[in-house]
Amino acid sequence: MSTTTPDPIETLPTAAPAMPARPIRQAPPFATAALRVFDLSLSQMLWSRRTIFLGLVVGSPVALGLMLRILDAFGFAGNIRMGGDSVNGSSVFGAMIWLLYLRFLVPVLGVFYGTSLIADEVDDKTITYLFVRPISRTAVLVGKFLAYVVTTIFVVLPSVVVLYLCVQPLGHGSLAEGFLSLLTDLGLLALGLVAYGALFAMVGAAFKRPLVAGLLFVLGWEQLAMALPGYLRKLTIAHYLQALVPHVMPAEGLGSALQSLFRDVPTPTTSLVILFAMTVIFLALAGWLVERREYVLEQ
Amino acid sequence: MSGKTRYFLIGCVLVTVVGLSIGLVAYYGGVPRALFASSSGPAELKYIPEDAAVVAYANVKQVMTSDLRQRLRQFGGPTDEGRNEFKTETGIDIENDIEYVVAFLGSRQADAATNNTNGLVLARGQFDQARLEAFAKEKGATVEEYKGKHLIRPSVNDVAHSGHERDLAVAFLDTGLIAIGGDVVVKHLIDGPSAGSKSALDNTEMMKLIADQHDTSMWAVGRFAAVSSQAKLPQEVTDRIPPITWFSASGHVNGGVRVMVKAETETDAAAANLGDIVKGFVALAKLQAGNRPEAQALWPSVEMGVTGKTVSLSFGVTTQLIDAMTPKKHDPGTLRKPAPPKAPETPEKPSK
Repeated sequence: MSTTTPDPIETLPTAAPAMPARPIRQAPPFATAALRVFDLSLSQMLWSRRTIFLGLVVGSPVALGLMLRILDAFGFAGNIRMGGDSVNGSSVFGAMIWLLYLRFLVPVLGVFYGTSLIADEVDDKTITYLFVRPISRTAVLVGKFLAYVVTTIFVVLPSVVVLYLCVQPLGHGSLAEGFLSLLTDLGLLALGLVAYGALFAMVGAAFKRPLVAGLLFVLGWEQLAMALPGYLRKLTIAHYLQALVPHVMPAEGLGSALQSLFRDVPTPTTSLVILFAMTVIFLALAGWLVERREYVLEQ
Repeated sequence: MSGKTRYFLIGCVLVTVVGLSIGLVAYYGGVPRALFASSSGPAELKYIPEDAAVVAYANVKQVMTSDLRQRLRQFGGPTDEGRNEFKTETGIDIENDIEYVVAFLGSRQADAATNNTNGLVLARGQFDQARLEAFAKEKGATVEEYKGKHLIRPSVNDVAHSGHERDLAVAFLDTGLIAIGGDVVVKHLIDGPSAGSKSALDNTEMMKLIADQHDTSMWAVGRFAAVSSQAKLPQEVTDRIPPITWFSASGHVNGGVRVMVKAETETDAAAANLGDIVKGFVALAKLQAGNRPEAQALWPSVEMGVTGKTVSLSFGVTTQLIDAMTPKKHDPGTLRKPAPPKAPETPEKPSK
């Protein structure tokens, strides 16, 4: 009887069975990526120290309105006058929307939040962690922009509504009288926040010191361009926003009276179209800049 | 999204939605502007038809007992003797018994030829019905009953004397409520509202104006077209007046009187034009007043404003201003005493 030695090679244990191929994870689509960034950024933005500033700025008109209402309830308010004319709550509310919100609060919020969308990540040196994710940089920007829009709109609009309830009934005004104007104001403020946010998101993506550039634009360029006659005011966002305001604006003296003579007010439709176009263009430019720029973190 | 963020956003949404809901209810449902005020206007508005052209109200008691009235009495008006005589005859003390009156002018014009008045005055107060009826009968009026209500109608002699048929009637609608007006209107009032009929309370625009008049002593609101047609303004004037839809005038007696007149136009531009016209008239009046100190005292209280489609003009007449306008009587004690006659000069004696 003969026995054969098995071939060692043949007796070698066979390799483990082949694992099924791991699917290559695709990068999430643009919208999903943007929403993920939005979700992450919203809480960060809402509970940041910057929002304390937002709360103070937005709360001031509300506090003023509450004070007026309390004084009126106790009979101390008397006749409210603007420019020598006796006015009611509707005029006071319109003036506050114009002077406090449209000409100050909305542009300033746009500057402080819009410029910080990318700049804060650069300053905190966390932008690297965002950009190494398998999502487009533009999606990151859009997600953060959406977080800014939600944060500012959800803080500013309720304050306007509370202000309306406090101020509108003053001086024999009525809530019914100003309701349609309130709806217009809310839309106008939301549109202003979006437009300014898009502009300053682009500024934030383009410049190293975007806050300074933004403040120069808001407090310098826009004020100057609006004061001068000619076409320069068409290079501002305020020109188109103010064309949509439903209130009769108070005259601020000889300067504004002269301005009104030369003012070429665009139609509401034109203003809306241009503001939407501005938002899209600025966001697209911001996305383009973010995709191509190399952010060098300072050591 | 963390829980804290979620609750914050929900809270913001709730605040916005609640505020907008309140505004929406106010816009459609006519919620009182202070949200705590009672229904606007006197209860007698339910008797006034929805298409009334002008509605007016006067708090007679407040006006009669005001300091202003006491000062205005020196300019004339019902004397104490006349008031007492009226009280003796009718049992009505003008100063104390009438609380307030509500009046309206119907949408159809007053036809002078037939004297068919289309208006009514409702007076609320304390009235001695029996005494009033006795007074009326004494004057030759007739007292008839109409659907359980007493109706006083003027005498035939009055009709003959006036030369045309008068359809005036006075009805006692309720305890303390008298209606004075055209016969047809008063009877229609007694008939009560028919199914589907509407009152001034259903006229949203009018009620909005009336709601603005709370805390005033007297007011009138109405359609400007009705007033201008009654005034029979020349065509050249009416063509130039901006289109005014509604007007309101109110006076608040509190020491002096604060008067507010408002006009609502069809467009903001018309309101701006009307505001310019009113400013011009105020400036002209100031010019005409010249250096009169009592008129100059009035101007600081004149306020004019244009808000949307509404033009408002207000001014106040204080008791001090009335005192300044009152001609002062001479005080005998302050009359200058005539100068004593000069003593005649004694002639010089000629020297011898």
